[in-house]
Amino acid sequence: MRQTEGLLFTAEMYGVQLDQLAAALGVGEARARTIAHRWRGQRYAESARLGPGGPWTWVTRAGLAACGLRYTAGPPALGRLAHIRAVTAVRLALEAAPGYVAGGGYWRSERRLRARMGGRVGLRQHIPDGEVHWPDSAAVAWAGECWAIEAELTPKTTSRTVAIMRELLTRTGDYGCPAAEIVAGGPPRHARVIYLCAPAARPTVARAREALGSPGARVEIRLLPPGAELPSPVPRRGAASRQATP
Amino acid sequence: MIWRWLRLVAVRGALRLLGRVLRAAVVAALVIAAAPASLVAAIGAALAWLRGWPPARLYRAALWCLPMVAVWLVATAIATRSASGVAVAPYHAWLSLWHGAHPASPAAFAAIAPVAIPVGLAAGGLAWAYRIRSMGTGTGGLSPDAAVSFDLRQWRHQARSARARIAAPGAIPLTTRDGSLGAGAVIRTVGHPGGPIASIPYPRMRSHQVVIGTTGTGKTTLLLRLWAGFMATALRRHAAGQGRLPLLVVLDCKGGADARRIADRARRALRLAGARSTAIWPDEASLSLWALPPAQLTTTLVDLIEHGTGAAAYYADVMEAVVGLAVEAPGGPPASAADFLARLDPGWLTMAYSSGEHEAELALVRSAGRQTGDIALRFRTLLRRLGGGLDGPGGFGDADAWYCILEGTAEISVAEAQARAIVDILASYATAGRQDREILLAVDEFSAVSRRLPVWQLYERARSLGLAVQVSAQSWEGLATDEDERYRIAATADGGIWLLRTPHPEPVAALAGTRKVTETTRQLTGRIAVWSHRGTSRLRLDPVVDPALIRALDVGQAGYIFRGGVTYLQVKRLVTVPAAVTPAATSPGPATPATPPQADTEHPPAPAPAPSPARAPHRLPDASSLLDDAFGAEPAP
Repeated sequence: MRQTEGLLFTAEMYGVQLDQLAAALGVGEARARTIAHRWRGQRYAESARLGPGGPWTWVTRAGLAACGLRYTAGPPALGRLAHIRAVTAVRLALEAAPGYVAGGGYWRSERRLRARMGGRVGLRQHIPDGEVHWPDSAAVAWAGECWAIEAELTPKTTSRTVAIMRELLTRTGDYGCPAAEIVAGGPPRHARVIYLCAPAARPTVARAREALGSPGARVEIRLLPPGAELPSPVPRRGAASRQATP
Repeated sequence: MIWRWLRLVAVRGALRLLGRVLRAAVVAALVIAAAPASLVAAIGAALAWLRGWPPARLYRAALWCLPMVAVWLVATAIATRSASGVAVAPYHAWLSLWHGAHPASPAAFAAIAPVAIPVGLAAGGLAWAYRIRSMGTGTGGLSPDAAVSFDLRQWRHQARSARARIAAPGAIPLTTRDGSLGAGAVIRTVGHPGGPIASIPYPRMRSHQVVIGTTGTGKTTLLLRLWAGFMATALRRHAAGQGRLPLLVVLDCKGGADARRIADRARRALRLAGARSTAIWPDEASLSLWALPPAQLTTTLVDLIEHGTGAAAYYADVMEAVVGLAVEAPGGPPASAADFLARLDPGWLTMAYSSGEHEAELALVRSAGRQTGDIALRFRTLLRRLGGGLDGPGGFGDADAWYCILEGTAEISVAEAQARAIVDILASYATAGRQDREILLAVDEFSAVSRRLPVWQLYERARSLGLAVQVSAQSWEGLATDEDERYRIAATADGGIWLLRTPHPEPVAALAGTRKVTETTRQLTGRIAVWSHRGTSRLRLDPVVDPALIRALDVGQAGYIFRGGVTYLQVKRLVTVPAAVTPAATSPGPATPATPPQADTEHPPAPAPAPSPARAPHRLPDASSLLDDAFGAEPAP
């Protein structure tokens, strides 16, 4: 059962690195490697070393079909590895918090949101990196809310960040929802937006929140959890020795 | 003398009565003698009457029984080992029914069944055809109006059967095996081949069509069915290498909340048909007017602005010149509305053309300098009213289907400009050369916004571009602004005309033409007048489409007119995934996740319901404890 959840987790996040897969499964890295190997044997997943750090695992078409997910299969895009890792770290950190379990929070991934949008339609819309839904009956103060999650590794311009914040805070309809649901001036979909920033991006996000005025009170800013960044590439021995040679 | 005459009359009457009794007795004897076959014939004819079947259906059923007869004959040949045994087998089976060890027993009926069933079905078909023929020509029934009652009753039976046929899930596929579009179940045909399923060959969807039906008659259901069928069939053809990818563009020229509800239904229907994406313009997607070729962009921009004749013509010329200068500036065409507006400035234009190679243009800029500000003001106003829907990014190639909502009811002038611009963008897309799509342009109530682009012009233009146009309207009058245009549109609908209930169907019905029918007059006889079966028959021309029938069509019933024939059908409604309940209507909280169209896993385990008004944004409960646990405290600035 735990492995099934791990497969679904991997599918929802586009792909995960080995250490994060181990954390998601609640096992050590050696055991996670074995599980990933088993998935490969069942043709449910593929693994490869796509960048610095451990190997990445992603779910194949057969695996997505087994999970009942209609996403486009493929390895995570190389240009998005850092971002995907950061978002996965955010999800893992949030799901590990006692309040998350107590509140029965549900993570709705960016991949799911994009799948709902379908194709290239709605290019003008910004899709958050994830949504967290809190059931109405949860024993937490924020029960019934829907949060937008944004992971910021690199700073954008303040105006762009303001525009994204404003869009997230004023959106009324679901992503890919019937047009009739999008009601101008209706109640907002996201009760609050949670920004998880790398230290470099935090000042821009903070400035953007200030620029928003009173709606900025619904924006929470935190630093990305430890281990959210991709490990720095280890220089090859030869290269290191060449650098060291005067 | 009188008594003799009376006796003669009495004898003649008695003989006539005797003759009739004898004839009835002979017929009854024949029916009883052929009991198994006559029983099947009676059942077949009764079923055909009850279900409104055509006689051909009974004939086909009889033909389908022939393999059974062949098997029976072969079995008999093997058992008797003689050809004569096979020849007399039916007679022996019939004989044993009456004179066997167990006459009229189930076993005896089973023995005669292989012969009796096909013969009975064929006889029932003949009898039913005779009945229909006699009622159609007016020779049957006790009175002349019996034919009318018979026809109405048969229509009810046929409609009931059609409704039953479409009720079964999957009974009417979007695409039939021969690559046609399944639209619904046939109620009745005149001049068209019959059959249980009303299917439209795909090439007709690539021709112009007209749909007319008032509100609440099932027009939207029919349109959704046709659009989904077009999408499914074209995708199937494309997958088989027989055609290009489809592109459906719908212009809903009424706008409002209804249009958005229909857009939602269309999106779900098209998704079921295989469309990966349906763009809803301008709510969720945008098009770029600025992607038009510069020359076309100039024409379109000028046409978007209303200008009159006389003195205004001079102003229109100046405007065209200034717009041309702004669009065809040496640095390239404008990329956005803001870019274009920035160019409508004498300073900008002078700078753009001051390279020394554009003296003529510079002279033009100088002479139009005084009007440039006014032109900029008009375009600023227009582009602000048009909104961001035409300011990109995006193009028709981005989606499988586009549902464009034009606010033709609320803001006619804006909708007119939008319609003009969208058609120009689509025409440009179709002629770009790189497009490899089979395009169907469906316009609903286009006459509401066709002041600047008459529908017939759209028709002609689409024809030259290889686009199929489907025009729909609530009435004949709504098809176009004047009678000539209406006839031009209807007469060039090569793909057929769909007619739903409408109060004035006569002009369209007349387009279907006439057919020859036999009309019979009947004499009244006797002091107490009764209609005899004596009279005369003659041929007369009857309209193929009965306007009275069109006026009486029920919801979901339609007549499809094509090449002098009509098929009445019950349109099969597409069953799509139900729409999510709009939370705004029930509670003021944020939107809950929409009901997913895909797998069950799309559902969150506990979808976030709407928060109560108490949780207004400015009074959000404190969630910092959770965030601090997960990510640590908020960093200091």
